[in-house]
Amino acid sequence: MTQLIFNLFNGVIIGAFYALMALGLSLILNLSGVINFAHGGFLALGAYLAYSLMPHIGFWGALVAAPLLTGLLGIAIEWLLIRRTYGRDPLYSLLLTFGLAFIFEDVSRYIWGAQSVPYQIPALLSRPLSLSYFFITGYRVFMVALVALAVAALYLLLTRTRIGIRIRAGTHDLATVATLGVNVRLLRSVNFGLGVYLAGLAGVLAAGQLGLQPTIGTSLIMPSFVAIIVGGLGSLPGTLLGGILIGVASGITSVYFASATEAVIYVMMALVLLVRPRGLLGEEGRLQ
Amino acid sequence: MTALRIENLSRRFGDLVAVDNVSLRVEQGELRAVIGPNGAGKTTFFNLVSGLVSPSAGRILFEDKDITGLAAERRVAIGLARTFQITEIFPELTVRENLRIAVEVAGGHRLLPWLSGAGAREVESRITELLATAGLAGKADGVVGELSHGDQRATEILMALALRPRLLLLDEPTAGMGDQETHDVAQLIRRLHRNQALTIVLIEHDMRVVFHLADRITVLAEGSVLAEGAPDAIAANEAVQAAYLGKAA
Amino acid sequence: MTAIEEPGSAGRRAATSRTPGAAVHLLLTVLIWILLATMPLWIDRVGGYTNLATRVLVTGLAATGLNFLLGFTGVLSFGHAAYFGLGAYGVGLTIRYLVPSTLLGILVGVGVGTLAAVVIGFLIRKLRGVYFAMVTIAFGQVFYFIVYRWNAVTGGDDGLSGWRRQPLDLGFARIDILGDQTAFYYFVLVWFALATAAMWLLLRSPFGHTLIAIRENERRARFLGIPVEQHIWFSFVVSAFFASLAGTLYALLNNFADPHSLRWDKSGEFVIMAVLGGMRSFWGPLLGAAIFVVLQDYASSRTENWMSLIGILFVLVVLFFPRGVLGILGRRALT
Repeated sequence: MTQLIFNLFNGVIIGAFYALMALGLSLILNLSGVINFAHGGFLALGAYLAYSLMPHIGFWGALVAAPLLTGLLGIAIEWLLIRRTYGRDPLYSLLLTFGLAFIFEDVSRYIWGAQSVPYQIPALLSRPLSLSYFFITGYRVFMVALVALAVAALYLLLTRTRIGIRIRAGTHDLATVATLGVNVRLLRSVNFGLGVYLAGLAGVLAAGQLGLQPTIGTSLIMPSFVAIIVGGLGSLPGTLLGGILIGVASGITSVYFASATEAVIYVMMALVLLVRPRGLLGEEGRLQ
Repeated sequence: MTALRIENLSRRFGDLVAVDNVSLRVEQGELRAVIGPNGAGKTTFFNLVSGLVSPSAGRILFEDKDITGLAAERRVAIGLARTFQITEIFPELTVRENLRIAVEVAGGHRLLPWLSGAGAREVESRITELLATAGLAGKADGVVGELSHGDQRATEILMALALRPRLLLLDEPTAGMGDQETHDVAQLIRRLHRNQALTIVLIEHDMRVVFHLADRITVLAEGSVLAEGAPDAIAANEAVQAAYLGKAA
Repeated sequence: MTAIEEPGSAGRRAATSRTPGAAVHLLLTVLIWILLATMPLWIDRVGGYTNLATRVLVTGLAATGLNFLLGFTGVLSFGHAAYFGLGAYGVGLTIRYLVPSTLLGILVGVGVGTLAAVVIGFLIRKLRGVYFAMVTIAFGQVFYFIVYRWNAVTGGDDGLSGWRRQPLDLGFARIDILGDQTAFYYFVLVWFALATAAMWLLLRSPFGHTLIAIRENERRARFLGIPVEQHIWFSFVVSAFFASLAGTLYALLNNFADPHSLRWDKSGEFVIMAVLGGMRSFWGPLLGAAIFVVLQDYASSRTENWMSLIGILFVLVVLFFPRGVLGILGRRALT
């Protein structure tokens, strides 16, 4: 029983990572039609930046600064490269971000080495909170809380601020938004930066739980794709739901059938595609 | 036999009712024009009949067969072809290649990994026949995307014809054309209707074309049928003049 | 639209601009076959080696197979490494555990890869564009995880070794494709010839024409009465069939099945080869594969960071060379 609760809890945590990463991917995909394959690379970069900054500004400083720096880098890369693929066959944005993913992983390996680096989290957070459920460490609770906070902040941003409302409007009908005098170019840059910021944040958090090596990004990006498909195309709440669902599913599966831990989420994706191709909360017509 | 029977057809998009409880009958061999001001639901009506959009309520019967739930490509297979307001062709292929695809599919060859000599000859002769119908033989090897608007439209109509339809839906066949092109396309439609006894429903804004071609006219306004009748009756109808002709002028 | 049957100026322009394209294509085809048929004779002199030539051929076959879908159906598949890898493991597992027969191994490998494509193709046939790409990438990873996890049978991360391709016994003759690299090259060339001929003929058939139709304008294709989903599914299966054939040959070349041969980065490599060579051209993917394989061979022997170089190649192709090497030849006729 404890084993099941542990894995369920673990699944929620993993699901929270997937969701955080997938939300960033979804934001970019919905507004710009770009699958950012380099998203995993940005995640890894966020984590490595935090690792390098920590000795100077501490964990809390790095938690604030590293995702911001990652987001800024994202905006720079969007401005320099991604922007050139807008309005072209989606093939090209995918290939471009594929190439970036290769470069990110290789550069991370070059700078920080191929092996895991020691990633310190504050002692305050690494203690178990409960004696009977030893696995509920402060860090785990902290992560779930922070992801929840990030999701809430994102929700407020998208529903209460001018730029957020424009992003959502652009997701539905970019042409109309453009004719209303909104600077679509800038909107897409900011939105890309926001998505990458979330990747960076996920990276800083994930490294404390999963350890940090150059492949951390690519190991998390596939489940994020699955989260988007399962949750529903074009729907951010769907993405969130999808992420948590597949996290919990792989958590439970690891108890009963450990070797299928990774495969189970793809089975879920297959089932969703079979029964409801647009995903659980997907919008009608997104497939065309 | 009734070619097309529509019963209480409706389609909502969110709060907007694009087509609202429309019923109508088109008889075999008839040429029906559907007119109405912008936003009257004409194109949505076509999309419902051709299967591009599924209805919120109501039934569609083609030759007394209920096709309401039938996929678009199945409707084509049983004899219902259409063209679009913005020409849908294969712009990077030649006229001949555009027609070849249509003729091969119509001949039931779509899954064949090869074509017999006899089959290929049959396809070629059918292409030649179609080209002659619209006088396009001289332009057969031109890339369609580089041809004039009128020739592109004619190619699209020929592709629909290649399918040997028993009902042809034409969505604004003369949209965006000059006088000469409009005249040519109208003549082509008239020939098809007369010579091949083809049942045609067309949406059209150009009233000269409508009154020149149509046997009967249906007027849509705000998603509903406002009036229906022979061209003379429609021209004299005060409600139509108020709702449509007045605005269009 | 005029009744006078005289070619319009646009028509004449198109007709004349197309003729050299067709002639160039014929010339190119002849040239390619001369080069492929003689490659083992001269590859050493230009700094290569026979197995590199075989690798070009095998990779080229995978890219050409992918391009059946990508370039000629207009469907974005980013998961073809899965079928390539399944082919590789199919042949490796058969020879290692079941029957020491090269031909039977190929049969099993192609069968397994194609079967997987039948199932996955059916699931994704309604998706389009970026979503199709995303799901193919994700599904591609399933098999990687299975191979990775099923350590005892597949060798896990170390790959499947402990088996070798077997000499061919044709009854009247025995061909030593194991010891003789040149013999193996020609063995692969025969498969390559059969596969490309099949794809070439298929693209010129009524079925092939419907695929071009879907690529050019899906809506028109549907309103010609083509069940688009079904045709995309079939095209996906055909494409994966040839990718898994290439995978079996790749494993036979190395006497080894590599888990990385079914990972996402491999899928991306096949796509970039097709784009680099020109995905609207039948021979483009082969050319792209040749450039890619030679470049990778050269770079990986000289620097540890060849992954960055490959990444930079991706970026450069997208920004400056999106139509590929053979893209300059212009459009190709339907038939």
